Amino acid sequence: MTIELNGTSAEVLNEEPLVIKNLKNWHHIHSYGGLGKFFHGLRKRKLLATRCTNAECQEKRLWLPPRCQCPDCWHDMEWVEAPTVATIYTHSTVLYPGAPFRASIPCPLISVEIEGVCTKMMSYLKEGKPEIGMPVRAVFNTEALTNTILDLAWVPQ
Amino acid sequence: MIRFGPKNLRIPKFERPVYMVAGGLTDYRKRYPEKSSSELCMEAFRMAVEENDLKVTAEEVRRSVNWCVYSQFADHFGDQLLAASKIHDYLGFDPLGNIEVKTGGATGGSSVLAAAQAVASGYASCVPVVGWERMDEVSTKVGNSYIASAACKDFESELGWMYASYYALMARRYQYENKVPRETLARIACKNHEYACYSPYSQNPGKYTIEDVLNNDMVSDPLSFLECCVMSVGAAVLILADEETAYSLCDHPVRITAICGGTHTLRTADRRPMPILLLPNETEETYRDYFKGQRTEWPGFSSFLASRMAAYLAYNMAGIKDPIEDFDLLETHDAFTISDVQTYEDIGLRPYGRGREFIESGDAYFEGRLPTNLSGGLIGTMHAVGATGIWQLVELMWQLQGKWDKFHADPERWARYGKKKPEEFRSLQVPNAKRACAISHAGTGSHVTVTVLEKA
Repeated sequence: MTIELNGTSAEVLNEEPLVIKNLKNWHHIHSYGGLGKFFHGLRKRKLLATRCTNAECQEKRLWLPPRCQCPDCWHDMEWVEAPTVATIYTHSTVLYPGAPFRASIPCPLISVEIEGVCTKMMSYLKEGKPEIGMPVRAVFNTEALTNTILDLAWVPQ
Repeated sequence: MIRFGPKNLRIPKFERPVYMVAGGLTDYRKRYPEKSSSELCMEAFRMAVEENDLKVTAEEVRRSVNWCVYSQFADHFGDQLLAASKIHDYLGFDPLGNIEVKTGGATGGSSVLAAAQAVASGYASCVPVVGWERMDEVSTKVGNSYIASAACKDFESELGWMYASYYALMARRYQYENKVPRETLARIACKNHEYACYSPYSQNPGKYTIEDVLNNDMVSDPLSFLECCVMSVGAAVLILADEETAYSLCDHPVRITAICGGTHTLRTADRRPMPILLLPNETEETYRDYFKGQRTEWPGFSSFLASRMAAYLAYNMAGIKDPIEDFDLLETHDAFTISDVQTYEDIGLRPYGRGREFIESGDAYFEGRLPTNLSGGLIGTMHAVGATGIWQLVELMWQLQGKWDKFHADPERWARYGKKKPEEFRSLQVPNAKRACAISHAGTGSHVTVTVLEKA
């Protein structure tokens, strides 16, 4: 007999041992929460970082990637515009990316040092050959937005 | 700056001693369609209870168990949430309690830590730790993206979907600050691939020359394929017990004198400078001239604070004064060659900036002062992630029990996995080994456990 089932039958990849192919095709809904402000900032060619507003906080660092709350005192932070120039702290060129990668390869990943920022954000170099210590400036993808961190890249100054 | 409060660095202690009594493995393969994850765990479990010279029957072991810990890195890979429940049932342990532990690449080490805590506190007296990973349901490219889901999804994963690249950023900076010759890194790859040739369990054995490694294709510069760990399918089991149970099950249990964990930010980007946390074999004087040239801060991208934290706690807990002198064997989490050199420094085998000397001096070899990754490591033998930290400890336990040959040299064991024992076989049993150390490591150093084992 045939049992009527929805969808196509699974493809058999191997009979002995039996291996079948399950199809998965759906979307994940990625919520940025309070961090959405950072991605809105990229659309306006701004790098938005956060700083703690608690007068008692011992650190009051400028964070980029931003955090909505301070890891040192757990108080809310305020949004501040960070400089859009930086120097390359380290780099590596991706040649064999994982499946969903959207940028073109080879893709030079870079970590950047920005004055006043306590972190070394990961990003990528849009043009040129990366060198440690190289001064770079931020460029923004403002058309055909991905609304991901790929909308921020850097080029040599 | 990271500032510690007075209790933050409290040295952990066990309320009562914890022992390892038996271990079991499967072989490790890139693809393993012949056996389900449950069957792989069963196979490793049966090896543990049937082949470790226990004084009791397998049935008596079953009747001794009162708590279980399960170790699997990624539900994505197995495409089965609550897989631990299936495996717990498959092994016949229902309705005993269990817990599943997840800390990325360090899942195995953290699972043993959880089991040791259960035994040490008196919560349980006999605890199997069962680890596995099934990484063959997707292509390597999708597998890499699954692993990269263990980077920050908001600010990192989209940048390559490739964990090797995130390590490579650290590697490049380490090279800039410390200028390790590529040849030295290649020696680590050659060593671990070679030791894997003497393991019937290994997935990626091979005798390579330094030239082979130097001429190998880059995954993400400066890391080549032969310098990166494998993606595996397989399982590992370790049974822990309190003193009374341990000696009722076997004559020569191995004692866990310390197992401690440290962490650091998942995003490497967020690592802030702090003063170097000193190990017992270091003083302020050790680092009087450290910050010069390209080195401006610690831990930066050159060092794993999580490894240093875990080593600091474990060494103080176990009374380790000098790791090179005090340990007879070491298993590191050699996910990549450079991260291995970084780890040598983090765990005090050499001061920061001088990790290369551990390889260059010959210390790390079978003949050296502290033979390291005689198992073949993650580069040569396996990285079935949830099993990895457990497999390292099983290998060390067998070494300390003098059973390395039993579990590696018997041609029948090779035949069990469809392999032929190589003609140029070497025994890697370290004679009279008394104390050993294992490092289990996740993320770009997000979680690390350091375990100290001692022949009882």
